[in-house]
Amino acid sequence: MLQVGNLSFNYGKTCVLKDINLNVKKGEIISVLGPNGVGKTTLLKCLLGMIKPCSGFIEMDEMDILKMSSTHRARLIGYVPQAFPSKFPMTVFDAVLMGRKPYVRFVPSENDLEVVSQVLMSMNLNHLGLKDFDRISGGQKQKVLIARAIAQEPNYLVLDEPSSNLDVRHQLEVMDMLRKLAQKENIGIIMAMHSLNLASRFSDRIAMLKSGCMVCNGTPLEVMTPKIIETVYKIEANIHRINGYPYTIPLNPMPENRTNKELLN
Amino acid sequence: MLRLLLSSKEFYPVRFFLASFLLSGLIILNVSAPGTAWAGDVTQAIVIEDAFGRKISVNMPVQGIVVLNSDVLEVLRSLRAQDLVKGVYSEIDKDGVFFQEFLDRPRVGSWKNANAELIADLNPSIVIAYENNPGTELEKQLSPFGIQVLRLNFYKLGTIAKEIRILSKIIGREQQGEIFAAWYGKKLDAIQKRFDYIKEKPLVYVESYSAFHTAGPGSGGHDMCVYAGGKNLADEFKVPYSEITSEWVISKQPDVIFKTIAWGNGFERKDRVFFNNVRNELAARPSWNLIPAVKKGRVHVLDSGIWTGPRAVIGVAHMAKCIYPQMFDGLDPEQIHKEYLEFFQKIPYQGVYISENLSGGAK
Amino acid sequence: MNTDCLTIKNQDMKNQYKALKYRSLVLLAAFFLIASVIAVIALCVGASSISVTDSILALIEDNGMARSIVWNLRLPRVIMALLIGIGLGTSGAVFQAVLRNPLASPFTLGIGSSAGFGAVIAIVFFNGLVNEYAVVIWAFIFTLLSSFLILGVSRYKGATAETMILTGIALMFLFSSLSSFLQYLGTKEEVHGIVFWFFGSLSKAGYREIVMSGIMILAPMPFVFRFAFDFNLMTAGDESAGALGVNVSGVRMLSIALASLMTSGAICFTGVIGFIGLVAPHIARMIFGSDNLFLIPASALIGGVLVLSADTLGRTVWLPHVIPIGIVTSFIGVPFFLYLLIKKTKEYW
Ligand SMILES: Nc1ncnc2c1ncn2[C@@H]1O[C@H](COP(=O)(O)OP(=O)(O)OP(=O)(O)O)[C@@H](O)[C@H]1O
Ligand SMILES: [Mg+2]
Repeated sequence: MLQVGNLSFNYGKTCVLKDINLNVKKGEIISVLGPNGVGKTTLLKCLLGMIKPCSGFIEMDEMDILKMSSTHRARLIGYVPQAFPSKFPMTVFDAVLMGRKPYVRFVPSENDLEVVSQVLMSMNLNHLGLKDFDRISGGQKQKVLIARAIAQEPNYLVLDEPSSNLDVRHQLEVMDMLRKLAQKENIGIIMAMHSLNLASRFSDRIAMLKSGCMVCNGTPLEVMTPKIIETVYKIEANIHRINGYPYTIPLNPMPENRTNKELLN
Repeated sequence: MLRLLLSSKEFYPVRFFLASFLLSGLIILNVSAPGTAWAGDVTQAIVIEDAFGRKISVNMPVQGIVVLNSDVLEVLRSLRAQDLVKGVYSEIDKDGVFFQEFLDRPRVGSWKNANAELIADLNPSIVIAYENNPGTELEKQLSPFGIQVLRLNFYKLGTIAKEIRILSKIIGREQQGEIFAAWYGKKLDAIQKRFDYIKEKPLVYVESYSAFHTAGPGSGGHDMCVYAGGKNLADEFKVPYSEITSEWVISKQPDVIFKTIAWGNGFERKDRVFFNNVRNELAARPSWNLIPAVKKGRVHVLDSGIWTGPRAVIGVAHMAKCIYPQMFDGLDPEQIHKEYLEFFQKIPYQGVYISENLSGGAK
Repeated sequence: MNTDCLTIKNQDMKNQYKALKYRSLVLLAAFFLIASVIAVIALCVGASSISVTDSILALIEDNGMARSIVWNLRLPRVIMALLIGIGLGTSGAVFQAVLRNPLASPFTLGIGSSAGFGAVIAIVFFNGLVNEYAVVIWAFIFTLLSSFLILGVSRYKGATAETMILTGIALMFLFSSLSSFLQYLGTKEEVHGIVFWFFGSLSKAGYREIVMSGIMILAPMPFVFRFAFDFNLMTAGDESAGALGVNVSGVRMLSIALASLMTSGAICFTGVIGFIGLVAPHIARMIFGSDNLFLIPASALIGGVLVLSADTLGRTVWLPHVIPIGIVTSFIGVPFFLYLLIKKTKEYW
């Protein structure tokens, strides 16, 4: 289990995260939602040990992640960043092969190549294998980076907006794949999302962030209420339930002053 | 022809053109040489030709000189013109013992980057510099002050006597200059005339300051080799200083090798250890034991003090003696050096200037 | 879809990838062969009158003068040229990889100019014209100094590519102006010597120099290869490399230190030929792609080939003059580089 307890984080003097508590169990998908700049990426980076929180703890299977070696950590957590490298003059196969880094001692082994080609296969990236990363589309790049994280064979996956560049079909495809991955390989997945509907459809639990604090943390049905969406996103929205999943239909942005008043309540 | 042109009517435009050309020439002359043109009535001006081949008109008598290199300074001392030296180049401290009497003169910057303001402050009549250093910006900077820049090299054996005469003329020490130039010519000639009967001159490799850089035609080192009766390996080179390979030197099988070094000052040396070490290192270069010069111990290292410059004749004497030990048995380069230092420079003879001669003959 | 079909396709992908890498391996072998051929040619040509057959014979039997020339003069020169090319090519590739900058080279980090400053100090104050080792030692001291300064600033300010490049460029300007300043103090002879040093020369290469620069250039090699895969990850950005378990700042600092050592092993003995450090990795990248596992050995080989052919041409085309190696490397490196740049079909950086 990935446990976050009383986590706070400051960039210099600005407090970005306050007192966050969160658990990610293996086999479970958790989405972190919240408006731009609320601290989703920051939270994920804390989980990866890239930045040190100023208070609180993060433990993975009862171990403090800050005390692990970076290789050990990389074997346990895979990461798909929000932005991809602007210039990355390598083949897709090479890019995915990098996910094997925690297992490679000197040069990638036969087994590493095997794993990579399997991952490419499972993500339907086969046809891109020998193309240059710089010469594939944004959505394809996103899939390749997900493939790289999967090639790490981690226990937990941290994804920062994994569907932002994908078309509708590929969004469903990738999410479905992550879902299956979580169940089959027993991987705990935590991802930052902007699409409320995808999150509700594919997550076991949703955590809502607002101004660096966690507003709520529960199943999609518990979290996706007009009230919560209004406080977090400052919009008016309708929620419909289809096939047992809550679907949010955003209607209007709220006027600024009203939201301020609400904050006081 | 010209008169024909000018008188005939048809060529009026030509006449006009010529006239305006002459006029503008006069204006340019006046503008570019204010010092000479206007001071002409008061003082006497003489025209000399410097190392650039420029005709320069210098006002007589010269009141003060700023000297930008050691070569000129040394010649000025031979001409007993110490009192004219108003400022000197900054590196003079490296030759502090040799040029002791000039150490109190103000410094005006380096030989290749003199400071025009400092020079202007001293208000000399002329500045004497090498042909190419500092660049012509010096002339530009100093002309508003009426200070002229004279370019003299004193490093080509063929022109040293001429340059001595030029310098002595402008400082009004013609008599002294004549004695010095004559002495110089006599010493060189004494060596030269012995070569009249020499058919085959020994092959000589001349290495300048950097390793594997040889002195070809156009360099002072080449001139010295030729004046000393050697046939320079780099005889046919088109460039004065050129890098060559060790292999080439070996395959050419030189009979004698000369190397010059510029470190410290021979005047202050007490023994030959330094020169000998350099010589030994040279001889120990890979495969150089295949070179006749090395086999016979005919590798010689000379101090830069007697290499080109005003004392080149002493260097030539040393080299001639190294190349033709028998023929110049009676020649004593150190005696010439002694004469030079004591009679012209008026300083006591001292110092060591060449490595020990391993091939026998005089030390 | 059955699993059989899947595994077949799977095999296919992997094999295609492996074929790609085998192609690079074969190319590497080809370059090795080219280097060897040029080396043999270089051993057979020179200013002396010994014939090519004699030169070849000299390699295997004792035939007097020819043997001496080939073994004592040409061979050290050839080995030194290869070593220097290997050192500059490898270090250039490392600099470009860890600094993620196509313009990175020993010059960008101020290593070239600090070595130059050391040489100038030696020539002006320590009789460097006569005492060659003074030049080597001082040049070495200053390359170490400049890399320590860069690493020091990086430790303090964070070892990002930008910090290092900016520090390096600042140092480059500092040391070049210090050199210019010292040249004011130099005499005519010394200034001459300094100019020649900056041109670079292999004339002084002997077996002792080979051993010393060989240690500096070859000893860091295994470590550099050890990091090659990490360099690949770092091209994708510090953050994702870190998430994959690369100790980014550690690898960066250590490889900068190693590459600096290699660079100084190359330039302290021969003068500044930094251009190779910039161009060899680019040529390698155009031919081999950006996988550092191949890029680094390829840069080494191409650097070696370039320096060796430049030196061989430099000492033979205008006999008996030697055209300084620094000049010839630019003469042959630049046109080749531009040709590849124009001909290349894909973005390689
Ligand atoms: N390196 C940094 N230094 C200082 N402040 C930062 C830094 N990175 C992010 N921030 C600030 O921290 C806050 C949270 O940023 P974060 O990137 O976590 O937002 P986010 O929730 O991921 O937003 P988005 O949905 O746009 O990706 C923002 O206000 C941002 O301005
Ligand atoms: Mg974000």
